[in-house]
Amino acid sequence: MFDRSDDEVLLVPAAYPEFGVLDAAVDRRDWAGCRAVLDSVPLSGRSMLMRYAAEKPGLEEWLRYLLQADPWDSTASALLGMHLTDVGWNIRTSMRAEYVSPAQFEQFHAWLRRAEAVLIDGAARAPYDPAVWSARLTTARGLQMDAAEERRRYDRLAAADPHHFNGQRQYLNSLLPKWGGSWPQAHAFAREAMMAAPPGAHQGALVAEVHVEQWLDLGAEHEKAAAAHLAGARDSLHEAANRSIWHADFRRDLGWVSVASTFAMLFAEMSDQASAARVFAMLGPMASRWPWSYYDEHDETVMIRRHRRRAASALTGGRR
Amino acid sequence: MIAQGELDGVPVLLSPAPGLMRAGLVFRVGFADEPLARHGITHLLEHLVLYPLGLSDYHFNGTTGVEHTSFHMQGSPDDVARFLTGVCASLQDLPVHRLDVEKELLRTEANGRGDGAMDAMPLWRHGARDYGMSSYPEFGLPAITADELRAWAARYFTRDNAVLWIAGDHVPAGLRLPLPSGRREPLPVPSSALPVTPAFFPGPPGVVAWNATVPRHPASQVFADLLEREMYRALRQEAGLSYTAGSSYREVGADAAMVVAVADALPEKQEAVFGGLIDVLTTMQVGRIDQADLAVVLRQRGETLWNADQQGTRVAGEAAALLAGRPVRQVEEEIAGIMAVTVGDVAMVAGMARTSGLLMAPEGVDARWAGFQPAPNLSEQVIIGTAHAALSGHDAHLITGDDGVTLVGGDDHLTVRFDACAIVRAWPDGGRLFVGHDGIMVRVEPTLFRNGHQAVAFLDARIPPGLRVDQPARRPDQIPAPQSSGPRPEPPPTRAEKLDARRIRASYVLAVIFGLGIVSRVLQAAGDRYGSDVQLAVLVVLLIGGAIIAGSLIRSRRRRLA
Repeated sequence: MFDRSDDEVLLVPAAYPEFGVLDAAVDRRDWAGCRAVLDSVPLSGRSMLMRYAAEKPGLEEWLRYLLQADPWDSTASALLGMHLTDVGWNIRTSMRAEYVSPAQFEQFHAWLRRAEAVLIDGAARAPYDPAVWSARLTTARGLQMDAAEERRRYDRLAAADPHHFNGQRQYLNSLLPKWGGSWPQAHAFAREAMMAAPPGAHQGALVAEVHVEQWLDLGAEHEKAAAAHLAGARDSLHEAANRSIWHADFRRDLGWVSVASTFAMLFAEMSDQASAARVFAMLGPMASRWPWSYYDEHDETVMIRRHRRRAASALTGGRR
Repeated sequence: MIAQGELDGVPVLLSPAPGLMRAGLVFRVGFADEPLARHGITHLLEHLVLYPLGLSDYHFNGTTGVEHTSFHMQGSPDDVARFLTGVCASLQDLPVHRLDVEKELLRTEANGRGDGAMDAMPLWRHGARDYGMSSYPEFGLPAITADELRAWAARYFTRDNAVLWIAGDHVPAGLRLPLPSGRREPLPVPSSALPVTPAFFPGPPGVVAWNATVPRHPASQVFADLLEREMYRALRQEAGLSYTAGSSYREVGADAAMVVAVADALPEKQEAVFGGLIDVLTTMQVGRIDQADLAVVLRQRGETLWNADQQGTRVAGEAAALLAGRPVRQVEEEIAGIMAVTVGDVAMVAGMARTSGLLMAPEGVDARWAGFQPAPNLSEQVIIGTAHAALSGHDAHLITGDDGVTLVGGDDHLTVRFDACAIVRAWPDGGRLFVGHDGIMVRVEPTLFRNGHQAVAFLDARIPPGLRVDQPARRPDQIPAPQSSGPRPEPPPTRAEKLDARRIRASYVLAVIFGLGIVSRVLQAAGDRYGSDVQLAVLVVLLIGGAIIAGSLIRSRRRRLA
């Protein structure tokens, strides 16, 4: 049998100590405490932490109060914008559009417009806060703005922080066919962002992410086509892994767990067990829900354990 | 230095200037004073007044604007005197035998001009009254009589409602201004057709236009200048989204002003142009304005004013101020007012502008995300009366009642009440077009409804006096016919179709305007302000827009009335 400790799964954001501190500060409604954490981490990690924190229910009143006291606090406006967006998105659900009712859409859009109002003001006051632009990329997608407005927002984000992984993921989403983009556009943006970022940066995961999306999209109809896509993506994925998680300069800072998890899942799915095992080894007990959460037949942790074991056993010649 | 005097009871402003003398006799009357059913009367009068002076070699002209009508000329003092005295004489003895010919000329003039991109904006903001008049063709022309013209002249073209300005060093000897006495006519109070602002309505593709009412104040002028600078920077230089992006300031009514911003856009970039404009406006609203930019704008405006004063081109504006009951200011005073504007002042104006805005959004841009509400394009009210079903069997009918008329299509209705009706255009075949004060139009085509001619007779008997304007006969192919063998009634419209219907109705309004070839003051203004390149660009955009809108008009008429 396998060792119990091998079975441990520590899901982000719990994997990041900063999140625990932020979470506690939010629970205490201790804004100085929140700012202390958020101001001390890299910009993309800050946006990511804020997105997690924004998921907590019941933040609106507190954040509005903070903004009233200091409308120039763009951390508060970005967080409030993200929070209102999250409330709206929970009403919409993450189902495909055809399964969302008109009433749900109406409420979803109403919440996003409220978020936009906060973010428009935030962007005017702090145009160089990438969290605000990252949040505005999400609202733009939800409110079905045209590609040019999304691009304008992305350009503003890039002017604030040229390699803002958190916002790049948002923009990448809007380039996917399900949001009105196309696969060539999405692949091109991901690779371009990866090549522009310094070696060892997280941006390699953007390339992996498009492969996940395309594989999922194909898999919904044709299992074989999906598998064939992954087989064809091998070189692209190895290039992306070599430029990010396997690069000597790869840093295990905020966000790295989901970056590595995306690669782990893809390598496992394409039966590149050696690579998968290498990534699982790197992750240890840590994992992120996405992309494992797509297997809706099981809890993520079940799937993570299963694939981790499979990769490990393949590597050790089937012994447990 | 502008000196003030008086001649024959008319206030005179004298501003020394180089070159040939220029002079203008300005009256406080314009389109905004006209009811829609007599729209065109001031312009017609201006033409008649100039007719007897028309065979000389004078370099003169007349202009009819929104608030003012002026007769101006450049030449020797003797020529100026002869011209202006002639204008006054002509006003007392209008060549009314020319009435029908001049009406035809005005129709030709209207057809010969293009359509301004923003012609629809006054209508959406003000409806079919006062300041909304600029959106409409001169619908009143066919009805205007010689007596009405004389009465109009007697009311507005008086010495108490006039100011003479002269860019030159003296009042020409021999100049007489024999005008009757009257009273100073106050500026109209702008009506509003917008229940809430900021509001938006769908416009043609490829252009984002926005206007806002702001206080009449130097800070508002500076705001317009800074806005133009910021738009140019954000939309053209940084993002490369617009080729032309500019803004302007003009005074409206007794104490307000309008700031107008326009940016062109490729159809696939139009939402980004809108997004960029919103960010620019909000940036100014929160007061994030660079002190250095402000300083540049203040200096430029100061220089412009100073040069205008030296050239004698400032005096016409001061004549308008005097007519509005405000004191005449010297250039130093005006420049001092500009120089005193602070970042805080501009931010405050920007905040008011953000609240009072009206946006012409390119089709497909849903401006609600930036806090704009759709401007009403349907009526809340339904007239109680007799229903006339559409002959095509579609879900449409006409309701005629003692209070007015309603056109119903599905869940949507368009209503014009007799007590809030601006005009009824009437064709000999029975076709009627009712336009309400709010700008809502109801087209009654007797051929399309059961007992349609009875409905028209019923309505005709109730049209308030002065509103009916009879039109020449239409060609048979211009009279709509029902599609009797049409398909089965359409199912009730979905939400998306209703939204679509709003757009179509707006297109309808625009299409009527396009189709009739409205006199384009805005296009002219674009030409004057931004040069003929822009004017041409606007024209091209309009031609394309017109074609698209004409297409949707055909669809909408099928859906609504067939």
